[in-house]
Amino acid sequence: MKPAPFEYVRAASLDEAAALLRRGDLDARLIAGGQSLGPMLNLRLAQPGLLVDITGVPELLAAERTADGVYLGACVTHANVEDGRVPDATGGILARVAGGIAYRAVRNRGTLGGSLAHGDPAGDWPCVLPTLGAVLQIDDGRSTRELPAGALLRAAFEPALAPGELIAGMRLPTLSPAARWGYYKHCRKPGELAEAMAAVLWDPERDILRVTLGALDDAPCALDDASALFGRSGSRLSDRFDSDAVDALLQSRGIDDPIAQQMHRVVLRRAVERACA
Amino acid sequence: MTAIAINLNGRRFEADVSPRTQLAELLRDKALLTGTHLGCEHGICGACTVLVDGAPARACITYAVACDGADVVTVEGLDDDPLAAELRAAFREQHALQCGFCTPGMLITARDIVARLPGADSDRIRLELAGNLCRCTGYLGVIQAVKQVVDARGEVAPLLPAERLGPVGARPCAQAVAPPTPIATTPETVAKVAPVPVASAPTDGPAPQHALARSLAVTAPVDAVWAQFADVVALSRCLPGAEFGAPDAQGVLHGRLHVKFGPVRAAFEASARQTTEPAERRGRLVGQGRDRLTGTRVTAEIAYALHAADADTRVDIEVRYGLSGRLAQFARGALAERFADRLTADFAYNLERLLAGAPPDATAPAADGLWARLLKWLRLSNT
Ligand SMILES: Cc1cc2nc3c(=O)[nH]c(=O)nc-3n(C[C@H](O)[C@H](O)[C@H](O)COP(=O)(O)OP(=O)(O)OC[C@H]3O[C@@H](n4cnc5c(N)ncnc54)[C@H](O)[C@@H]3O)c2cc1C
Ligand code: FES
Ligand code: FES
Repeated sequence: MKPAPFEYVRAASLDEAAALLRRGDLDARLIAGGQSLGPMLNLRLAQPGLLVDITGVPELLAAERTADGVYLGACVTHANVEDGRVPDATGGILARVAGGIAYRAVRNRGTLGGSLAHGDPAGDWPCVLPTLGAVLQIDDGRSTRELPAGALLRAAFEPALAPGELIAGMRLPTLSPAARWGYYKHCRKPGELAEAMAAVLWDPERDILRVTLGALDDAPCALDDASALFGRSGSRLSDRFDSDAVDALLQSRGIDDPIAQQMHRVVLRRAVERACA
Repeated sequence: MTAIAINLNGRRFEADVSPRTQLAELLRDKALLTGTHLGCEHGICGACTVLVDGAPARACITYAVACDGADVVTVEGLDDDPLAAELRAAFREQHALQCGFCTPGMLITARDIVARLPGADSDRIRLELAGNLCRCTGYLGVIQAVKQVVDARGEVAPLLPAERLGPVGARPCAQAVAPPTPIATTPETVAKVAPVPVASAPTDGPAPQHALARSLAVTAPVDAVWAQFADVVALSRCLPGAEFGAPDAQGVLHGRLHVKFGPVRAAFEASARQTTEPAERRGRLVGQGRDRLTGTRVTAEIAYALHAADADTRVDIEVRYGLSGRLAQFARGALAERFADRLTADFAYNLERLLAGAPPDATAPAADGLWARLLKWLRLSNT
């Protein structure tokens, strides 16, 4: 279906985009790749009065190595990351995750910032970026603030952004050579949004043990310190994995259907096993 | 209308488009290139896939205005493309064509596989083709055809198009554009339309298919809470976004419920009737609503029962609801439940305020971390 009518502006700068977002007389919304908003517009689920296209704003296309990691602008696409066109500080994790999102035709337009801001609980970046310790640069055209990626997603589809604020980009810290990574998602068909997903980052040297559970129907559950899930004794991380603790966590998140519980538990165990492999 | 120009199949193509014009619509209706097909129109089926700046993109969820200055190639533009010629021959040999509806998108994707992934094996080809659905389910022939071309070409350097970062098709903005003037289609304007009369009982709405039960603890004596529940108009204000007037002569409440969920905004014109059993401190609200913007209809039966719990009150709420129309497509079951949880949490918060003599607060729980806390508390008291 054709979307309901809207006005369209291609913003030239962050200031201009933020100012348009703050306008009270029009229900304005940003559009980046349109790969999540487009389907909602076509279904007429979303009917904004004004779309502000931010893909022409130069700052949002930045990608550079920094002293302690990389900086990626919000409009970098999944395919840009998949192809290694941007610097990497994660030993290839970002490219592997990017390549598993949707289909190539979607990845060629879908952006990191759009994926985070859309806040689909089953999205890949909302699960992966908090686990990697990404810190977002949030801009309102006048000032910039930093926000850990995990704090952006307080509820499904509702990012913690004030009116007029947008995601300008993100800083990703360099992982130490000893860091172990595990990621697993369960989809009924490749490219479909996941039914369960989990990411594990274990860096014993830097004392990091982070776990994020995605596709929970709620915002992803990002544990900065996941040691409570690994309470059993054993030398390998996978031996220490305590599925009772995982069950308790899932229950506290309102996942009480036994099949859903099993799915999330298995997906997390596989992510942990991959981190140990 | 916006004037745009694209490089279409090697020729400059100019058009005046409205911003909502999909790239596919521009190609089919204005450029009369009907090889690009539209199936699902939300990015799933792949029938509309075209090359934008040399890379495959969905023409259904890419808007023409966003492609001003871009390079677009449709299946018609591949006539003289050597790679496409090899693929066409292989498609013929391997019987990869049935009705042909999916074929233009399949060819564009196949060309991308051959160009970008030299040496791809059948599994990889299968994976890459997952975004192109064939109604005739003739996948095997397509996979074999792509494999044949990949094998025949051997190890060649991959061909990666578009060096610039960002969505394909997008161009840096040259100069600032004049801000637009509002048009008459904002939700506010629509919401001002006189409410449509809706029947008082949900006889013609969607049948309730979903049920959920919640308990909330209210720190007030049961009699006080019951008295408050009798004032259904005041009660309705505890639900953020609800605006109900006094009941009409038939005892039916009319009003509106504004709902915001991510990019979705809906305003349900709603009517409801309340029945009570004071001796049992039980009641029931039966109602229905319709959102004109999204064409969504909802019917709901809300049964509530109040129980004394020491000096306080436990309110048991059972909701049965049915949803039809566009919002129902979006509302994956559990998402709707989470949303209901949030509404219940907001409702409980405001109910407590109301009983304490404070006005309902439309924003507070959602605006800070409070609603997360409330949600936790709600689940703890969930019996
Ligand atoms: C068929 C299909 C399958 C998919 N499968 C997957 C999948 O498996 N995994 C996955 O993770 N995703 C999947 N997606 C979603 C896809 O990855 C999108 O690219 C992505 O989620 C949104 O990015 P976008 O740039 O297209 O955002 P848009 O659609 O342009 O915008 C999305 C939302 O974010 C807002 N927004 C955009 N940019 C910013 C910004 N910088 N700051 C603040 N707000 C902003 C917009 O206002 C809008 O509300 C799929 C999509 C499709 C069509
Ligand atoms: S019509 Fe575009 S993907 Fe289905
Ligand atoms: S050949 Fe008929 S849809 Fe694929």
